[in-house]
Amino acid sequence: MSRPNPLGPAAAARRLQGVGEVILVGSGKGGVGKSTVACCLSLELRRNGFSTGLLDLDFHGASVPEYLSLRPPVSSDKDGLRPKTRGGLKVMSVGLFTGDNPVPMRGPDKQELTAQIFGLTNWGHLDFLVVDLPPSMGDELLTALNVFGEKASLLLVTTPSPASTEVVSRLRRLADREGVPILGAVLNMAYVGVGRKKVFPFGRRSAKTLESEIGSRLCAVVPLEPTVADRSLVEVLESRGEFAASIAGLAKQVRSALRLLPATRAGAKAPR
Amino acid sequence: MARMVQVPGPRHIEIRRMIPKARLHELSIAQNIVDSVLAEAGSRGAKRVLELRINVGELMQIDRKALRFGLKLLLTGPVLGGAQVSLRVRRASFSCRRCNSEWDMSEAKRQLQKVRPELLVREPESRELPLHFFPYLYAAFIRCPWCGSSDAEVKDGKDVEIASLVLEGAA
Repeated sequence: MSRPNPLGPAAAARRLQGVGEVILVGSGKGGVGKSTVACCLSLELRRNGFSTGLLDLDFHGASVPEYLSLRPPVSSDKDGLRPKTRGGLKVMSVGLFTGDNPVPMRGPDKQELTAQIFGLTNWGHLDFLVVDLPPSMGDELLTALNVFGEKASLLLVTTPSPASTEVVSRLRRLADREGVPILGAVLNMAYVGVGRKKVFPFGRRSAKTLESEIGSRLCAVVPLEPTVADRSLVEVLESRGEFAASIAGLAKQVRSALRLLPATRAGAKAPR
Repeated sequence: MARMVQVPGPRHIEIRRMIPKARLHELSIAQNIVDSVLAEAGSRGAKRVLELRINVGELMQIDRKALRFGLKLLLTGPVLGGAQVSLRVRRASFSCRRCNSEWDMSEAKRQLQKVRPELLVREPESRELPLHFFPYLYAAFIRCPWCGSSDAEVKDGKDVEIASLVLEGAA
């Protein structure tokens, strides 16, 4: 007989019962700002009154603890590992266990860890679980699709660069094949505000062109926000700047897209 | 499709009240084992579980008494009641993919003593290494003692696994 590993999958299946929607934030490409978008979206959903969790699956380059100023140690009680919290948002990341140690890991180990880190965390009830995916379309993504099953949908993140949209379109096609609904694409680092002018460091391309290349509609245009380096994300989102407004709009768009999902999901499962 | 049989929630709450000082992660592991066994038995249409063999990897440094105690309390009811349980510790063995050296848990423990205190997970009655929860993070803490490479492999004794199940009436 097979040897079912009792730690990850069983625990993950039980935890998933308490989660409403799982929003995977991915691009396939590194350096496009997935973690910033995932952090901001989850903080904004929490600010809107929803019970929200953020799971960092970027094992090798976990940056969520840094973005949210969270530090080890993690506590555990009778119900599992207690997520760290920031502004009411529940957060779990491998970085909270490894600190600044390098985390080398091969494929099969990553598959096990993906299920374990979700399953051993006591998320409680969540309206939304936002998952920050690593670059690439490797073990973390494929395992996440298995673990989260029909509750999963995908939010794509790209910059205006053709090198980014090309890789993002590959991820979109993979999601289509796997029957994972796409919530839309975030155009990140779209411009920088310099006084009253806008500067386009990664090129200026029309929404129509980008949507055509990616194969998905744009649901938010997010500018570069230089003050993110000096202020916490919570402070930035509470400001009245264009960055905060774009994230507020993104959260609204994501919720709208999720409301339409039953029909989309049925469509996604149609024969290819 | 596999028939999932759920273990009622209040039962494990009660167990934890009974042994408040136990290492709590072992009880979670016991619960996960029971869930997995029930799922496997259900998927095979078994009436009863007669025997259950579990391998416990040395790397996780699990308290076997606590795990056995948790299992004893959870293995009840028509499907699981009376199942014979055996726990076997699999010695952890490591090798280096770079220089092919091999070492055992005594060397690993020596290295794990250097894990910074702030990385230890706080349980109510103890402080636990991250590997107690996530054995797959071993390479973040254990390196080849000979060449210093982090490209190490745990050849055996890493995780908890259900080694075998004897089922009555399975298809």
